[in-house]
Amino acid sequence: MASSTAAALRVAFPPLSAPAAAASSFSSSTTLRFPLHRAPRPLAVAAFKKLSEASPLPIPPEPTQPLVEEDALPPKPGVYGVYDAAGELQFVGISRNVRASLEGHRRKVPADLCASVKVAVADEETPDRTVLTNAWKSWMEEHIESTGKAPPGNVAGNYTWVSAPQRPPDLRLTPGRHVQLAVPLEQLIDRLVKENKVVAFIKGSRSAPQCGFSQRVVGILEAHGVDFVTVDVLDEEHNHGLRDTLKTYSNWPTFPQVFVGGELVGGCDIVSSMAEKGELSALFQK
Amino acid sequence: MGVTKEDVEAAITSALSPSHLVVTDTSGGCGASYEIEVVSEKFEGKRLLERHRMVNTALAPHMAEIHAVSIKKALTPAQAQPEPEPAADKPQA
Repeated sequence: MASSTAAALRVAFPPLSAPAAAASSFSSSTTLRFPLHRAPRPLAVAAFKKLSEASPLPIPPEPTQPLVEEDALPPKPGVYGVYDAAGELQFVGISRNVRASLEGHRRKVPADLCASVKVAVADEETPDRTVLTNAWKSWMEEHIESTGKAPPGNVAGNYTWVSAPQRPPDLRLTPGRHVQLAVPLEQLIDRLVKENKVVAFIKGSRSAPQCGFSQRVVGILEAHGVDFVTVDVLDEEHNHGLRDTLKTYSNWPTFPQVFVGGELVGGCDIVSSMAEKGELSALFQK
Repeated sequence: MGVTKEDVEAAITSALSPSHLVVTDTSGGCGASYEIEVVSEKFEGKRLLERHRMVNTALAPHMAEIHAVSIKKALTPAQAQPEPEPAADKPQA
């Protein structure tokens, strides 16, 4: 039954004090965000109270009012479920410090969504991530089995409780046009492509590419879960002269240009065709 | 119109003596945008990047007037061989 329930879930796994990891995995097409590939550890789950067994603790409506005492809501690792004023489960999360996470939620989330909380703390001081993940999974399954739906805050794309993944900003070659460069632009490019494993020189920013080819390249790289940086060749303030210098540096006439390990792989056509043939994944594993 | 399909074909033919060449004008008539498929022995042992460079070099004299060239395929005869046969009689899935 666990597998059929899991398949029906369309939920976002709450990041466990690791926003960077969450950001890099965001672009994958899966909507299930827990490690399915690991074998479940029933013993670990059994160590936690079930959702229905935990008793709700009230959360004062004003963030300045103190939470219940630490005995009931300890600063320890565990799983928690937050209920709204109407008694509907809004969000199930796991944390290394459930009390601190709760404090974070009540500052960020409207008070009527944070009326009470159920908590189950882990037996161990520093449980393995899998232990917490399994506890989260079993609370989610328990709730979905009884109500037929996931808590709204856990649905993929809902950023009420967890923050939206942050995309890394575009790299800039220079601080600005007013700054006299001490080294030639070519040398800056050289250093940039050698210091970063994967670099995409694109037209426009990573979050808003201004050319269809650049957009496609960004899309392909993100779909492959590649950790890459982007440089906007249209940014005249910070990357003035980059287009011409880069064309000479790489001996390649067009943009976008993708570099891996300091070497030009190609533009949109090459990257697309490598992606189709599955050659791209091999390249990034090196 | 600046560059014709025939100009592009002639430039690639003389540089790469391809065994298979398809040039498609995707500009809608103004001659500024082309899609190219090339199969040539000269691609043997070259990476895709170098193959594209060879095509670009061949077109260099025309590039000033061409706005966009998309190289769809740049294959060696050996690579091109197994592909077209099944693709021809099977409908696209």
